[in-house]
Amino acid sequence: MNLFMHTWLAASALAVPAAAEEFLVTMAGSDYSPASISASTGDTIRFVNNDDTAHNVFVPTATHALDLGAQEPGSETELMLRSTGSFDVECVFHANMLLTVEVGS
Amino acid sequence: MKRSSISVAILLGVLGAAVMAGPDEVKFPENYQTEFVNYLDVDRYDRKRVRRMYISAEALETAIPGEPLPDGTVLIMEDHDARLGADETLQFDDAGRLIAEEAVGNIFVMEKNSAWSTDNGNWDYAWYLADGTPRPEATFEGCFSCHASRAERDFTFTAWKFQSDRSN
Repeated sequence: MNLFMHTWLAASALAVPAAAEEFLVTMAGSDYSPASISASTGDTIRFVNNDDTAHNVFVPTATHALDLGAQEPGSETELMLRSTGSFDVECVFHANMLLTVEVGS
Repeated sequence: MKRSSISVAILLGVLGAAVMAGPDEVKFPENYQTEFVNYLDVDRYDRKRVRRMYISAEALETAIPGEPLPDGTVLIMEDHDARLGADETLQFDDAGRLIAEEAVGNIFVMEKNSAWSTDNGNWDYAWYLADGTPRPEATFEGCFSCHASRAERDFTFTAWKFQSDRSN
């Protein structure tokens, strides 16, 4: 294998993006668990409502604000992280439920 | 004596009606798209909508982070359909946000007036159609009950937090 081939292979390896990761967040009581996540763009958060009451994924942070709607007991929903930055996730129904998410590139 | 009691009751009833604002008290803010500030958009994935949030410019300027919003604050939530692809899936812009279609749907207004006393402090709500006319047979129990969960933020989901976040 010549030097050109070695260089090409190394460059190719560097260019391969890391595999997207999935983070599991459970919702129960007045807590998201875990309460904080450090992720990268392309990663996904899977929210699972393990409670016997409805919860919600609501982001009130500017430039990331969104609402996934009411999530009934036993149901799941996914959020793909499409941009960098940090934001809070709250439950519309339970004011003290808080998850902080940091998204790197 | 009986007459006095009746008179007092009537008077109290009138006063009570005066401080309990109804939806008709919250007027449609003409020209809000140019005179208010669109401080935040909420992507509603579940409803395939984008909700544009506006605040009256004076309120944005005078609000103190961490404190209740100023008397006279008007907040607007303006509904837009989100752009869908041919397969009816949500379309995203380069920043990863939903793309709002031009047409305006419902327009929800909440206004704070210290002369009003409601279940949510001094806030009252109104629901208008895109042409500025009140939505017929609109009900507001949902507005009051949902916003009540954010009493610690002056009954707002995004405006109080926006002020707080931008001060950090």
